Amino acid sequence: MKYALFLGCLISAREPSYELYARKVLPHFDIELVDIPETTCCAPFSIQSLDYIGWLAIAARNLAIAEEIGLPVLAFCNDCYESLLMTSIILRDDPELKTKVNDVLSQVGKEYKGKTEVKHLLEVLHQDVGAKKIKDTIKRPLTELKVATQTGCHAVRPKMIHPTLAVSPKTLDELVKATGAETVDYDKKEVCCGGPLRGINDEISRNLARQKLKGMKKAGANCIVTVCPFCFIQLDLGQLEIKRFFGEEYNLPVFHFVELLGLATGLEIKDWKMRDHRIPLNPLYEKLRGG
Amino acid sequence: MSAVDPNFMHEVANTPRGEGVLTCIQCGRCTSSCPVTRFLDEHNPRRLMEMIILGFRSDVLHKLPWYCLSCFTCLDRCPQRGDVGEVVFAIRSLAAREGDIPHGVVEQAKNLLNTGRLIPTSEFMHRQRKALGLPETSTSTKDAETIMKMVGFDKMISKARTRRSELTE
Amino acid sequence: MANNSVLVIGGGIAGIQACLELADKGFTVYLIEKSPSIGGRMAQLEKIFPVTDCSRDCVGTCWLCVLMPRMIECYRHPNVELLTCAEVKEVGGKLGDFTVNVVKYPRYVKEDRCVNCGVCVEKCPVSVPNEFEMGLKDRKAIYIPFPQAIPDIVTIDAENCLHFKNGGCSICEEVCEAEAIDYEQNAEQLTLNVGAIIVATGFDLFDPSQIPAYGYGKFKNVTTAMELERVLSPFGPTEGRLLRPSDGKEPNSVAFILCVGSRDKRFYSYCSSICCKYSLKMAVSVKQRNPKTEVYLFYTDLRAFGKGFQEFANQAKKIYGVKYIRSNPGELLEDPVTKDLITWYEDTMSGSIQNLTANLAVLCNACIPREGTTELAKVLGIGLDNFGFIKQLDEITYPVDTTVPGIFAAGYALGPRTGDIPDSITQASAAAERVFEVLHVKKEA
Repeated sequence: MKYALFLGCLISAREPSYELYARKVLPHFDIELVDIPETTCCAPFSIQSLDYIGWLAIAARNLAIAEEIGLPVLAFCNDCYESLLMTSIILRDDPELKTKVNDVLSQVGKEYKGKTEVKHLLEVLHQDVGAKKIKDTIKRPLTELKVATQTGCHAVRPKMIHPTLAVSPKTLDELVKATGAETVDYDKKEVCCGGPLRGINDEISRNLARQKLKGMKKAGANCIVTVCPFCFIQLDLGQLEIKRFFGEEYNLPVFHFVELLGLATGLEIKDWKMRDHRIPLNPLYEKLRGG
Repeated sequence: MSAVDPNFMHEVANTPRGEGVLTCIQCGRCTSSCPVTRFLDEHNPRRLMEMIILGFRSDVLHKLPWYCLSCFTCLDRCPQRGDVGEVVFAIRSLAAREGDIPHGVVEQAKNLLNTGRLIPTSEFMHRQRKALGLPETSTSTKDAETIMKMVGFDKMISKARTRRSELTE
Repeated sequence: MANNSVLVIGGGIAGIQACLELADKGFTVYLIEKSPSIGGRMAQLEKIFPVTDCSRDCVGTCWLCVLMPRMIECYRHPNVELLTCAEVKEVGGKLGDFTVNVVKYPRYVKEDRCVNCGVCVEKCPVSVPNEFEMGLKDRKAIYIPFPQAIPDIVTIDAENCLHFKNGGCSICEEVCEAEAIDYEQNAEQLTLNVGAIIVATGFDLFDPSQIPAYGYGKFKNVTTAMELERVLSPFGPTEGRLLRPSDGKEPNSVAFILCVGSRDKRFYSYCSSICCKYSLKMAVSVKQRNPKTEVYLFYTDLRAFGKGFQEFANQAKKIYGVKYIRSNPGELLEDPVTKDLITWYEDTMSGSIQNLTANLAVLCNACIPREGTTELAKVLGIGLDNFGFIKQLDEITYPVDTTVPGIFAAGYALGPRTGDIPDSITQASAAAERVFEVLHVKKEA
């Protein structure tokens, strides 16, 4: 299946590993990625808080370009997914508002017709590909891993706009298990990582990340798997910040799910040292590569 | 507590995403579900709604709205299906119009205005991407700027009396 | 001459009341009930409100005094034909002349021979969860749903009975001295000709596992109100001792949570109207057993309306020490060691954020339309409201008429009017009166 890839700001600015692995692994499962040209930021919550029409116009402009390409949009980042999905739903249900937004878009030569779908990476992996197919392509089961998954808030909430529950809180666990790894249940598993307050109120943001890490450690996890690049930074770089502020070390390496897929299906990118991961991946990573 | 504005509730209800304030039954489920409330008593979603309904405009706009994570746990559980998780966007946009925006948000908005992205890709990262064989990121800075100027973001940002959140001092 | 027979569908308190009133007036009444016994929801309750006239030392259940005599009367009344394990399949005709096709499912027991001695039940090798006990206790494949069931005849549950599954077992037939077992029994088709019909099919309960945040089904010590009624009942799974599921110990603290599924636009936006009342009643019942038990009631609005309820609510607080907390908890967490429930909540009256640990949590779940109501409505040709309850012809002027002349309804089948037992009885009386009116009152030319 072909998708118009909406990468968002964070992955391209900070997490090349995510992108590298996604571009290598996903075509293997028949997910072809076509880059959307001339995108802008999706307008996540901080921008949404400033102006309603501004948010909808910025988001709808990205959707309009995807429409020109004629493909459904695939988002990796939870915040991008939520922003684009909510925009498509709001404008679908309110034609008057859509006209207003298109008035703004006409100034940049774009028109949003309302025909494109927005999908999340987990949704596509779960529904288009399926846990069973993933399991069948595994060459090297990741049995050493005891994974604490972090699905993140915006892939699953609010249920009101995800009525078909395209992604459920259990989806990521299912997919991780398909790679041969074990998943753990931990305290506050479905609670926010604190990412949205990063840079706005760091104390609360840190406290939230910390309570999750505590729960993960207590449940016996030896690594974390995320889908959203924001959650990734909160839990990866966040561990260094927590060490500085609280003196606590958790030593839980954080992987993007596509990296796990790559390692398990023999599509590992051998000369890439995963330098954008701040918490050391070894000795766990060495074990996974050796096998 | 400052003077009461009896029209405030309707002002919020007429702001996009603020309609939920009219149906709140003050049951308290939102506060009971909020992850931020456990760390900060001051952030009390139910009480925020109560203060909007009662008209404490200045307290609501100038202090309280920026602790929300938008994690939507409250919205998922609200029996009236339209609550703080959404209303908070309405009051933030009202606060922003009066120039009250946290520093971190202003920085993000400035990035958006100048580079089309919330988090711009650094020169270093551009080079690294090239070395890794990743495609060049294609951003329409011009379009972002045009749209933001049309809706008045640039004025909003320049007017902002940016205040650092008390807790990060 | 107008048809002198009436069909009452549903053997709960409303159906029983309507049936007896019409039978006393001289009508022939067919009382049809899907399950093996009449009694309905009321038979599952421990106490009913108000209990002011009774001895405080009574260790029975209220319905023994109130419902049981009526149940027996239905059984013995010469004008009543009781059809249990039966369902209405087709209805044709009109007011004054309805033709009703009824299926009487086989009990595999000869009704005129069984004396309810209980030997077959004792010897039966199969145990399955008992629906009447809300799954808290088992019954056998040959069973009587509760000790005071009417008719007091056993029934074989063919789905779970070994004889029907693999032909292997005939123990009940062998031990039955009355020779009442009849494995060859077939379903019976009956055609009834009646002048009017009353629907009194009652309600089901919202499944709280649809709200994963409350942990029902996951955390052992989260129960529902009806389950607690069975536990408190002296004929129930614990013989009336309040014991909690995880360790069988008496709880030192019990938290009632109201509005679970009710007043909730995600599920049922109406107020179920009886939960505030019954939770008060149960809270006091718990306190009466052991005054030292901490009892908390998490409410949104305490809807204790009508005669005596507000006074009862005040009494519960002042005299019995039930603690009211105006708050709606978002979630329940479980302590992995003690299996206690922990909830963070805001006391909305004081604004303070607190947490509470309770040994037992009781969810007061919404009362929802009975399963099968849609199908029954189609068979009868009557309308349903947008929640799936039976629609009244007019809420104000024709409150017990359905949208089809000659068909009436009473009790919770009509939805959460005020919903409690006295109201169901009132509506049943009204429906009986309407039947009398349409069948016997001569119209002036």
